[in-house]
Amino acid sequence: MKHTLRSFFSFCLLLSLTLAQAQETTPVKSDPKSTKTDQIVPEAPLPLVEISPEIIKSDSIPVKTDRYGIRVGLDLFKLTRALYDKDYKGIEFVGDYRLTKKYFLAAEIGNENKTTDDDRVNFTTKGSYLKAGFDYNAYENWLDMENIISIGMRYGFSTFNQQLNSYRIYNANPYFGEVPVIASSQKFDGLTASWIEVVAAVKAKVFNNVFMGFSLRLNRLVTNKEPENFSNLYIPGFNRTYDGDFGVGFNYTVTYFVPIYKKKVKPVAVPKKVDTKK
Amino acid sequence: MKKIILLVFVLALSFSSCEKDDICDANTPTTPRLVIGFYDFLNPSVLKNVTNLKVVGEGMTDGIIFNASATDDSKYLTNGSTISIPLRTIGTTTSYSFTLNSGNPNPALVNQDNIKFDYTTQELFVSRACGYKTIFTLDPTNPYTHTDAAVADTKWIKHISVEKSNIENENETHIKIFF
Repeated sequence: MKHTLRSFFSFCLLLSLTLAQAQETTPVKSDPKSTKTDQIVPEAPLPLVEISPEIIKSDSIPVKTDRYGIRVGLDLFKLTRALYDKDYKGIEFVGDYRLTKKYFLAAEIGNENKTTDDDRVNFTTKGSYLKAGFDYNAYENWLDMENIISIGMRYGFSTFNQQLNSYRIYNANPYFGEVPVIASSQKFDGLTASWIEVVAAVKAKVFNNVFMGFSLRLNRLVTNKEPENFSNLYIPGFNRTYDGDFGVGFNYTVTYFVPIYKKKVKPVAVPKKVDTKK
Repeated sequence: MKKIILLVFVLALSFSSCEKDDICDANTPTTPRLVIGFYDFLNPSVLKNVTNLKVVGEGMTDGIIFNASATDDSKYLTNGSTISIPLRTIGTTTSYSFTLNSGNPNPALVNQDNIKFDYTTQELFVSRACGYKTIFTLDPTNPYTHTDAAVADTKWIKHISVEKSNIENENETHIKIFF
């Protein structure tokens, strides 16, 4: 996970670099020839042509419409992770509903089964989670584009259990030798946690109604029901917990947009400048 | 443009370097040792320094290292008034031999006493990096057994007193030895 996330970030940085490169403009050298004033006699203007008084009314702007509907899909990252990580099984469904031009109701629901193998503890976390909130699309689309660069918030809730598989005793003074790994099968049931996420996401329409996107999430725990004599080192939906209350998340989604209705985009009326001074 | 690239690289580097909270901090209280204080038998409130005390666990060949900077056998010797010795986390008993004037050429001065500690253990979760720690509770009826070594001489330890039967940290003296 750590390495995947890191390489992903690096890739994003690389992409952003190439983007910046593409935007760079080199100043066009002015043609030295043109500085010279050629002595060319300008051609005589075209003869006047009588224009018919008939006005052609074909220059009206086509009415722009925004499509409203529901978008459903799933997280490919969680789904494919089971292929290369035998300690992980998980699935996440994502969905959003376009509420207004800029705001989307958004939710994720998922289930995870992860065995974490740390130096001193090995444990299995199983559970489900639900996150609900909104996204705000900060991207101004041209014409009929429907891409989304959004920031949003979620409130996440997870219910899960932990099973401690094995652990080690930390002894700073191993005079009698290092203590071997102790096998355990303690199970901690009925655990819950809730948290707030800040989501930055990108979704791009690849074709028709199919969107692909990814999101980065910063999480902060709100409530956390800890097991007795153990800790929630991993929470489904929240991911790994750190010493503080913060965590990070990521998903890579493919979604299908189901249009429900269309809404005309009203041309924005430019307010006339009113001279306030009297 | 070059500045931006530089900035991006510095940022990327700074992110990639801040990982690893998986190392157990040395300041984290983990499995405690048994803290023993040596007191004057005639004046029980006064700490008394031992002379060349060597402490060896049962079944071990080397003693506990008290002076890590020394290179010869003197690293096993202490002349202080308090020692901290580890207890076995597997099992419920640990035996130690306490040899006073260890290494002294005069065998009449070398005196060995054995103490066996009996206790119960409890494992407590510390953190992801440290895992679990063991804390000890000395047996309430029979916390220690004091015997003389195979060579019968008078015991140099005159009295042992249990100050704290719950060994949860190393901030306090658990056992007082009067001699």
